[in-house]
Amino acid sequence: MKKKRAGTIFRVVALSLYLIFAVFPLVWIFLTSIKPATEVYTFPVKYFPSRPTLEAYRYLFSFARFGVYFKNSFIVTVVSAGLSTVFAVMAGYVLTRERFKFREVLVLVLFFVQMLPTYLVMIPLFTMFSRLKLTNSLVGVITVYTSFGSAFGTIMARAFLRNIPKDIEEAAMIDGCSKPGALLRVVVPVLLPGIGAIFSFCFVNSWNEVFTAILFLHSDHKMTVPVALYSFVSKAGIQWNVMAAGLVVALVPTICVFAFAQRYIVQGLTQGALKG
Amino acid sequence: MKKLWVVLMLSPTFSLVFLLNLYPLVRGGVISFQRLTVFNLNNPRYVGLANYETILRDPNFPRILWNTLVWIAWSVSLQFIFGLILALLLEKPFKGRGAYMGFVFYPWALSGFAIGLLWSWLLNGQFGVVNDLLVRMRFIKVPIGFLSDERFAMMSVILVNVWYGIPFFAIMLLAALQSVPRELYEAAQIDGAGFFQRLFRITLPYIRPTVVSTILLRIIWVMNFPDIIYGMTRGGPAGVTTILSVQMLNVVYYRNNFGLASALGVIVTAVLLAFAVVYLSLLEKGEFEL
Repeated sequence: MKKKRAGTIFRVVALSLYLIFAVFPLVWIFLTSIKPATEVYTFPVKYFPSRPTLEAYRYLFSFARFGVYFKNSFIVTVVSAGLSTVFAVMAGYVLTRERFKFREVLVLVLFFVQMLPTYLVMIPLFTMFSRLKLTNSLVGVITVYTSFGSAFGTIMARAFLRNIPKDIEEAAMIDGCSKPGALLRVVVPVLLPGIGAIFSFCFVNSWNEVFTAILFLHSDHKMTVPVALYSFVSKAGIQWNVMAAGLVVALVPTICVFAFAQRYIVQGLTQGALKG
Repeated sequence: MKKLWVVLMLSPTFSLVFLLNLYPLVRGGVISFQRLTVFNLNNPRYVGLANYETILRDPNFPRILWNTLVWIAWSVSLQFIFGLILALLLEKPFKGRGAYMGFVFYPWALSGFAIGLLWSWLLNGQFGVVNDLLVRMRFIKVPIGFLSDERFAMMSVILVNVWYGIPFFAIMLLAALQSVPRELYEAAQIDGAGFFQRLFRITLPYIRPTVVSTILLRIIWVMNFPDIIYGMTRGGPAGVTTILSVQMLNVVYYRNNFGLASALGVIVTAVLLAFAVVYLSLLEKGEFEL
């Protein structure tokens, strides 16, 4: 009995310590972002601002034009994640429901593509897209992100679709529903949690992508949030409270998506969507 | 009719995959034999193996390979150990476990690059809060240049990578732990097995397939994960945190030398392919599930 209690106490202490370790960096960057510039560069460090201020955010959205970058990021992310999700459900559906030649090969291709990091293919993509005049354009970046998103989205869709019994579509088709009709009217409604998970996954990956974006988007009004942060580092004179505010703005959207879809994302991760 | 349906449904995803993921991989191989920079994008010149020669002659290249190995070995093993501990701590359900998992797993959703920037502020050599805490707790007298001191930079980026990767391992291992049949534990309890005996004799052997596949994937992924290093040091100081992928990015962004960068990319791809073959063949053998 005593041993069991010691075990519980150990568990509570260990989990609490890890919680602090996990959350502290984010809390710290938030605290930095609401400090006045004079209290950012002190040692010993001042832990809480004497008067919390939004001046860093004001600077960020006026002088640093973060509104534009945020809008660009938002467009790129939502469009590519939306397209990826649709493509992934389409491909995932026939990969689970139909038997045809090369099916296994195509699945292996998807798993292989999962392992390719974006930066490895960005140079050829850049030369290809520059010929089409699609570098320095949001459309180009959206296309690239959609290609990555639909590949791992398909793997996730496949995992979710395998858990949906085939009978429901067969019943609908006996009632005179066509294949596309059955997919849209019968399967999609049941698949909604999976669709939410795929969209969230694609959203997070596109929102966070930085290396292709740095190479592709060079004019100021085309930049996405990560590219802007990258350019901040090289710009002299950016104060850390402004940088911290930029980081908060960059991190909040994916944290929201994660909070909303955590359960499904965890499911997707363990069911074989591999990007960690 | 069925054929048309299959082709139509597959074509968006797979035309993108073949055109924008697989073809560029081949194209990158071609570029690695060219002299190609931002300035002659439309008329590249073939230079044979010159780019590979440049890489192999670079006196820093062995160091870069060694750094890559150090980065992978420490990151993956520490992520695994702490991920396993966290998963074991979370195995028994308790009130608020769901919420707790949300709070500790959130780094998974964050951009590695942003995480790097964020930690570079926490570890700042002059005004960083980590230094402040260490001074207050009397561990050190003067602040350490975690990212500017060559002795500490690699350790710092690895620790941040561990912070970032623990949740992923914990998620995968927790799911695996929950698949271990309860009867096995009950039998062990009757035989009087202790915690560590249970862990090494029952739990770990049972979840071995998940452990193998997760570690293998993680090695591939960590090798190709320049994001955190790029946010923290961009490979510095004096190249001590330059791993292969970081070197490739630096060649692209600072030297604008696409041919040379592509040759580095081919080297990375070769290593990646070797790992991929092992991983995919294990998949084929049914060592673990797709």
